[in-house]
Amino acid sequence: MRLAELQERFARTVLAGGSERELLALLTDPADQRERRLAVNRNNVRHALLSVLEAAFPVVRQLVGVECFTATALAFVARHPPRRPVLYEYGGHLPGFLADFQPLAELPWLADVARLEWARNEALFAAEREPLTPAQLAAAPPARLGELHLRPHPSARLLESPWPIHAIWHAHQPAGEPLEAVDLSRAESVLVWRQKGAVRQRSLAAGEFALLAAFAENRRLAEAVEIAAGRDSMFDFPAALARLLGDELLVLSVREEGYGVNG
Amino acid sequence: MRHPHLSDFLAASQPAAWLEVHSENYLAPGGPRVAALERLRGDYPLSCHGVGLSLGSAGGLDRAHLARLRALYDRLEPALISEHLAWSTAPDGVFLADLLPLPYTREALAVVAANIDFAQEAFGRRLLVENPSTYLRFCEAGWDEAEFLGELARRTGCGLLLDVNNLYVSARNHGSDPLAPLDRLPLAAVEEIHIAGHARVATAFGELLIDDHGSAVIEPVWQLLAATLARAGPKPVLVEWDTDIPALPVLLAEAERAETCLREAGDAAG
Repeated sequence: MRLAELQERFARTVLAGGSERELLALLTDPADQRERRLAVNRNNVRHALLSVLEAAFPVVRQLVGVECFTATALAFVARHPPRRPVLYEYGGHLPGFLADFQPLAELPWLADVARLEWARNEALFAAEREPLTPAQLAAAPPARLGELHLRPHPSARLLESPWPIHAIWHAHQPAGEPLEAVDLSRAESVLVWRQKGAVRQRSLAAGEFALLAAFAENRRLAEAVEIAAGRDSMFDFPAALARLLGDELLVLSVREEGYGVNG
Repeated sequence: MRHPHLSDFLAASQPAAWLEVHSENYLAPGGPRVAALERLRGDYPLSCHGVGLSLGSAGGLDRAHLARLRALYDRLEPALISEHLAWSTAPDGVFLADLLPLPYTREALAVVAANIDFAQEAFGRRLLVENPSTYLRFCEAGWDEAEFLGELARRTGCGLLLDVNNLYVSARNHGSDPLAPLDRLPLAAVEEIHIAGHARVATAFGELLIDDHGSAVIEPVWQLLAATLARAGPKPVLVEWDTDIPALPVLLAEAERAETCLREAGDAAG
């Protein structure tokens, strides 16, 4: 058998359940040992991919229970095996898979909690970028402030959900309040980012969410503030800006650097 | 070095002669792990051990992955880089996250040799190739694993990363003598040695050893290491511990014992 065909058959055998007769026939080991020997590689593959998903989705795992998570993750692996040999990137399709996964339909918020966990994973590995400091911003000519293009830090991820995903996530942290105390009828918007090497998250009011979304779309500062105020009558721009700068969440768009605002 | 030990290394200088990392764990554009390694590489010589290139893939190597690794190696400037005599990417591009066995045939030899040539060219560096742990054998094999590795070294100029635990695990799983390959392996090409612990599982036909890097090195593997060093001469030895990772002092004690084996081999060689 050609090597390519052997590898195709072997891949099917380790990803799916049963071993193919044509593959077993290629082994020199005693006939009654072949299945068991192949099972070592099958277990290795499953264990490796399952471990990646367990590490990336610890709250989803708590929500559904260990056994259910294992079964669900293995169904996911069979449907969406990794296409690249870089496993920190593996699992991004799990939220979408969960959204359509009928056996877990009674947990409607599960897919959005998975989106939040994936956002945390992306934030952990996102590119580095020096955050904009208050001093740098203060150095910008006042007349030009409204024209500035600020951007969220490369690690920042914005999520909108009809479910209180930030509160559900918190309820599954070591010091979190119990899930029963969470009002599940509440929608929540969440911001995830990395600050000084650690992933952080907080819920966002509508105005701050709209402001960051406008920054992500590369709107001018004046325009972004207008959008945020239009979305949220309580929006307090100076307070929001101070918080975003303090959380090291903003950077200058590349074209602003060199305009005298980067100190 | 695995992630749980990064903070120990960042907090204080540790008695490790050098460090090895899995290349694929550091391919992200940013984040604390990449930043930690950037800092540590100035303090310890580094070896980058790839687990995803799939040198045995019949369809050739993934160019994008080669480019990612090349960029990493250019940035980290490791003293050694290595991959495995195995495959993990299927012909349809699916990555199987395990080091899967190859039939040691003439066709496989041509495939792996071409892939090693291609990788060494792409990296601009010599690649070390590691002997695998295997659990099954293919009947078409015309070559013995040790001779297959010898032929690869001869054809491509690659070096050998000799994993002594893998020698032991494979020999036990196939009912052969772990010392026997030392007569046929290209020992002159050895530039690095691995040792590790393995798991034992009972089956209907006896025990299978599983290369899980999840426990201390066992006595027979230490003895095989001593026999290997006596034959190959002193080479850098790495203790691998990748699952059920213990506190750093446990791992450092294993590394110290490996250092002692190395000193003894050096003394014996005069």
